[in-house]
Amino acid sequence: MKKTIPLVLIFVAGLLGIISFVIPHPAYQTYDEWIRNSFLRVLSAFAMVLALGSLLRVHFDKIRRRRKNWQYSWLLLIAFGASSIIGLFGGVAADGILPTAIGSFHFDIQVLYENIVIPLASSMFALLAFFMASAAYRAFRVRSTEATLLLTAAFIVMIGVLPLGHSISKHLPMFVQWILNVPNVAGQRGIVLGIALGVVATSLKIILGIERAWLGGGE
Amino acid sequence: MKLHERFLQIDRRIIYAILLLVVTLPLVFRSPLKVTPMSPVEKLFEAVDNTPDDMAVIIDCSYAPQIKAEVEPMAIALLRHAFKTRKKVLVLSLYVEMIGLATKALNQVVGEFNSLALTANDSIIYGRDYVFLGWQPPPIVPMLGMGESISAIYVVDYYGNQTDTLAMMKGIKNYNNINILVALSGSSIPISWVAYAQNRYGLRVGVGCTAVSGADFYPYYQTGQFTGLMVGMKGAAEYEELIERRRGVEGRRIASEAMLSLTYAHLVIILFIIAGNIGYFISRRKQRRSQ
Repeated sequence: MKKTIPLVLIFVAGLLGIISFVIPHPAYQTYDEWIRNSFLRVLSAFAMVLALGSLLRVHFDKIRRRRKNWQYSWLLLIAFGASSIIGLFGGVAADGILPTAIGSFHFDIQVLYENIVIPLASSMFALLAFFMASAAYRAFRVRSTEATLLLTAAFIVMIGVLPLGHSISKHLPMFVQWILNVPNVAGQRGIVLGIALGVVATSLKIILGIERAWLGGGE
Repeated sequence: MKLHERFLQIDRRIIYAILLLVVTLPLVFRSPLKVTPMSPVEKLFEAVDNTPDDMAVIIDCSYAPQIKAEVEPMAIALLRHAFKTRKKVLVLSLYVEMIGLATKALNQVVGEFNSLALTANDSIIYGRDYVFLGWQPPPIVPMLGMGESISAIYVVDYYGNQTDTLAMMKGIKNYNNINILVALSGSSIPISWVAYAQNRYGLRVGVGCTAVSGADFYPYYQTGQFTGLMVGMKGAAEYEELIERRRGVEGRRIASEAMLSLTYAHLVIILFIIAGNIGYFISRRKQRRSQ
């Protein structure tokens, strides 16, 4: 029963999703709209509550069992609690029931986002540039004809996309566009078609109950 | 240690330090570089520019803070363009994480225009000139649902107003009233807009994306599924150039200012790769001779 019900649900849901694209009858389309605009949104809200509950449970458990780096879980829980209270009661435009300013010091959800989330996330990602530069220096070696072609194309595109490329020759940016539009697109199309066929095959396997790894339980 | 051996073993801290210098110094001494707009960006500009008065432009700000540096200048340039040419604008985000960035870009550009406005007609007024729809999960719901009714999907806007009571929304019902949607994202969201909204409702889709994901989107641009394409910081700089040259839009050009940093960073990386390869060739030749 624990497996049969999810399998039946996935079969029905998958089939309904496909049918909506091939049956243009107004009656079915109205039903499809209801599924998407009401049912899916309610389902999504449940999923969010479930996700938040799961996040809290994992971190409370980590603190209780004193697992590795459990102290950071406190940080997450405090940040989670504080931002939830400010977000829920402070209002999206600092117009809620909770005051979000002390004198000229503001701490509404947008201020927190702009001054904590954005700098932290941007800094983490900015480090990538340094790792990429170091990795490119170490890994890009002209060991074969294919590697030479790859390196030449990379240099042309790297210079051609810059204003410098236009200064070298007005044809260089055009050539870069050609590389992106022709050889790149040819390769990308092959990859996209392969991925699409793979997605169709996997989706069918899931809908028909052949692929059951998503059910969990180590099968 | 010989020179070619040094070329092969440059300490990574030296690479980091040089890269840091060439990226930060041009940003400190601001000097915007002029760029030549290419066809993918020009097509996007023209599509937004030719939006009829009775239609609107949707800007999907689905970019995360990680790619803010590349994509936010695109959002700002697009908003400046739309407000300068008095296009109706709808702004939304498909994920909650990005709502703050959409708010930030909107607040900045609306503030810029309103600080120069002398009358209410010159001002950019919420509900008359633009509407911030906010966030509605999961993404497939707004993508498909807005084809039938925008105010049925976004019953209230981001600030809690009833969407269908806003003056601008009187004439904007669904995708039939949308000239183009510009998806600003670093993920495959623009492809989802094509798969759901364009295939079913014929919505025109333009894209602003990171340089890394640009190559993935060219097949869709080539087939015309994407009306236009802004790729990376260069794409944003091209759009800034177009709106200044053709529409006289003024304001700080963040992407153009960053072009010098980008140029030096690319050149430094190329030089390091060349140095590494010179070292590699000389070492290999010496090894073969000794054998």
